[in-house]
Amino acid sequence: MRVVFTLNGRVVEVDVEPNEVLLDTLRLRLGIKSVKRGCERGECGACTVLVSNVPVVSCLLLTVQINGSNIVTVEGLQSDDLFMELASEFSKSFAVQCGYCSPAMALTSYAFIKKALENSLKPSREDIAKAIEGNLCRCGTYPRVLMAIEKVLERRTQVR
Amino acid sequence: MVEDPEIIIRRWFVAESFIAVGKSLERVDSIEKVLGRARFVEDFFEEGFLVARLALARIPHARIRKISYDHILKNPKVHQVLTYRDIPGENQVGYAIPDQPLLAERKVRYYGEPVAVVVGRDPDTVNSAVEEVVLDVDPLPALYNSLEAMERQDILVHEALGTNIAFKTRVRKGDVDSGFSKADVVVENTYRTHHQEHAYLEPEAALAIPDLENRITVIATIQYPHLGQKIVAKVLGIPSSYVKIVAPYIGGGFGGKDDEGPLVAARAALAAYHLRRPVLLYYTREDSMQIHPKREATVIRYKSGATQDGKLTAIEVTIVHDTGAYANRGPFILWRATMHSSGPYYVPNAKIDGYCVYTNKVPQGSFRGFGNPSVQFAAEAQMDQLAEKLGFDPIDLRLINMLRPSSETITGQMLMSSVGIYDALKKLASESNWRIKRRMYEESRAGRFRRGIGVAVGWHGNSTSRAVPDWSNSYIHISRDGSVSVYTGIVEIGQGSPSSSHRQLVAEVLGCPFEKVNIVFGTTDAPDTGATHASRGTSVGAIGILVAAGKIRSRLESFLAEYFNVQKEEIKMSSGEVVVGDKVKMKWEELIALAYSKGVDLSATGYFFLPKGVFNDEVGQGFAYPAFSFIAVVAEVEVDTFTGKVRVLEVHPALAVGKVINPEAVKTQVEGAIVQGLGYTLMEKLVISEDGRIINDNLTDYVIPTSHETPVIREAIFVEDLWEYGPFGAKGVGEMAFIPMPAAIANALSHALGIRVTELPLTLDKVYSLTRDSSR
Repeated sequence: MRVVFTLNGRVVEVDVEPNEVLLDTLRLRLGIKSVKRGCERGECGACTVLVSNVPVVSCLLLTVQINGSNIVTVEGLQSDDLFMELASEFSKSFAVQCGYCSPAMALTSYAFIKKALENSLKPSREDIAKAIEGNLCRCGTYPRVLMAIEKVLERRTQVR
Repeated sequence: MVEDPEIIIRRWFVAESFIAVGKSLERVDSIEKVLGRARFVEDFFEEGFLVARLALARIPHARIRKISYDHILKNPKVHQVLTYRDIPGENQVGYAIPDQPLLAERKVRYYGEPVAVVVGRDPDTVNSAVEEVVLDVDPLPALYNSLEAMERQDILVHEALGTNIAFKTRVRKGDVDSGFSKADVVVENTYRTHHQEHAYLEPEAALAIPDLENRITVIATIQYPHLGQKIVAKVLGIPSSYVKIVAPYIGGGFGGKDDEGPLVAARAALAAYHLRRPVLLYYTREDSMQIHPKREATVIRYKSGATQDGKLTAIEVTIVHDTGAYANRGPFILWRATMHSSGPYYVPNAKIDGYCVYTNKVPQGSFRGFGNPSVQFAAEAQMDQLAEKLGFDPIDLRLINMLRPSSETITGQMLMSSVGIYDALKKLASESNWRIKRRMYEESRAGRFRRGIGVAVGWHGNSTSRAVPDWSNSYIHISRDGSVSVYTGIVEIGQGSPSSSHRQLVAEVLGCPFEKVNIVFGTTDAPDTGATHASRGTSVGAIGILVAAGKIRSRLESFLAEYFNVQKEEIKMSSGEVVVGDKVKMKWEELIALAYSKGVDLSATGYFFLPKGVFNDEVGQGFAYPAFSFIAVVAEVEVDTFTGKVRVLEVHPALAVGKVINPEAVKTQVEGAIVQGLGYTLMEKLVISEDGRIINDNLTDYVIPTSHETPVIREAIFVEDLWEYGPFGAKGVGEMAFIPMPAAIANALSHALGIRVTELPLTLDKVYSLTRDSSR
């Protein structure tokens, strides 16, 4: 089946199987390697992508469902100021260990920060923990991820 | 020129000021990981490669009559099905005991045991084909209980052995009868701990590529490339030198990929060997959870005695490990548990017996702590009960018995130095407000929500147990432009040692710019460095790097001294600046260009064989480990007596792990281990059905901690009790914070409820019934 969607700002057209999930289309057909296979049942969050700026697990999404959608992965954010600031903050906060969950964790964090900034929200630590609860990290980097998100939020709010 | 490893190690051990070591330099690999540029095994997959999955046994114990798959091969998309018959070398991969086939042969011993490798064109094809492999068997009765299995002779997991006891350990020190007769109080209990699933986010995978000249390269999720090389060579019946293993970035291991890694590599290599094409073997999450070995499940009987003044007089311990269908690393795990069973205390009389017992369950294997968290859970519960009976504060009782320099362990080993746990625990007691909180929570033990505070200590021998040989090695080469290539077998598994802390060590020793150092890690192209396990990456694993870099530094200094006619003491090299006497200054790059032009050898290996003593297996006495790492934690919990829910509010760690190479990186290891230990203690539980199957073989039903379960983790206290052979005095740290967590949480919960916890995990139902007991 032919599917057309926007991937990282570019229109792509692919032929996919009717039962094919977006995770496989991205990894096996489109060379998007940042999206990771972890559990294939929507539990670990390692395959998170942004669909119209909302974090969604790509292992539970049939590719045919996203026809016409706007999909973003970290490959498409490498010149995005906010994302690069967040990536640098992840590094400074030691929020990365094995790194398998990191692109997805950063993507979820990015969507959350963006939304908070756009709506002038002041999220609590609980709110932030809630935002990333769908992204599992077995290395246990959670406290550091929270720290990184808080730092970016703090800096971005002050600038305004 | 100094080429003697011991002299080199000593030179940096006594160093007092540092350029890169001891600094919290940012990790080199973080940014590329966040940006999705870091490659993991499956990311090397390209179109046109074949894929493979394993067909698993769906019965716990049976004799195999026939494995049928001809019907599957009719599908043109299925390329091959491989069973034990297709193994050209040996179908034997047991690490400690030769009891385990790579693919089931003659018998099936656990539900989920790999039977065949199914190779096909795409994932859809192999996913359905693996379900169609037919295993024709004669079922056998199965054993699931280790205590029962010890006694039975009519059902045997491995018939040839004549018993289900795979392995025994023992320690005999002093005379326990006379020890207990001197005791004023005696405490005796049976403790039970459970399996734990590693649940690394990246499931196992291996990409095998037939190479030039009949070589085979395997890119695999593995913790010890050289062991993978050995196993692949053995299975294929070819020399090791024809096998290359590469561990790229690994998505978590925690020990699981130390056991399973070489086997995944060998199964993928077998497929590529037959098909002469690249094959990616991957495990689904369910495959991963069914197949790979788990943390030990134990039953521990523990008796301790102490005098009125708080001194331990004797311990008598029986440890039973359920090793499942295969010994795997079970004997090594049992050894470690046995020799650490006292906790880091002086005990004059000890009688310890360990049993590693076969059952028809998933095998027991390596997992952060390696036999130690379970036995410290028992030992530390005993200490709390002795304190209570004797009227001592739990920390005071521990301090009275704590090992110090010149103390003797239960194996009779004298620890001359690097024993900083006494100071660490003392500092922790004051910085955590232990005494105030302990009293406060005791006085307010009422109402729905109750709080408790508990302490636990842990210790962990560095290197292999007993006098088993262990070494470190690496190869360093400096290019003409001054850049430094470092080859090591240590794997980047999330801990940051090869990617980052090794770079700090090299920059420190060579005095070269940090960014000039490139670490080529996780490869058999490096000399055998030993495994990335046992907390050894930045300790034992990096000794080879220190030695190789130290040799080159010494050659450069000798060269400069002769060339400029100065004393070596007049040469300074740091951060890429070279100063010779009071006249000559040059850049690192200039020095290297000069050295090249004058015939200085700028490549070196850094082999170091750890000096060890003698160990007597018969009585379990002698040299157990070259050094111990130590930790103490204080944990605070709140329990909801209406629901049984336990929340860990705060954890305060204190470590005595020698020189801390990168404080922030070490803290993240501590935090990660605390979160994982909390998960094990409170939430994680594998459920095994009546037919031996793991029912919750997925991350929906096997629940691990999320961002919500993370407690407040206080700034870690470090006591730098340097180890003479560690690089700059560093000891191992990766496993440390896991070890005391079950004990600390259980002790805190016992404190909150005024009862005694002896069994894990502390799930809602169990805690709820404990709260009923406590209110009775």
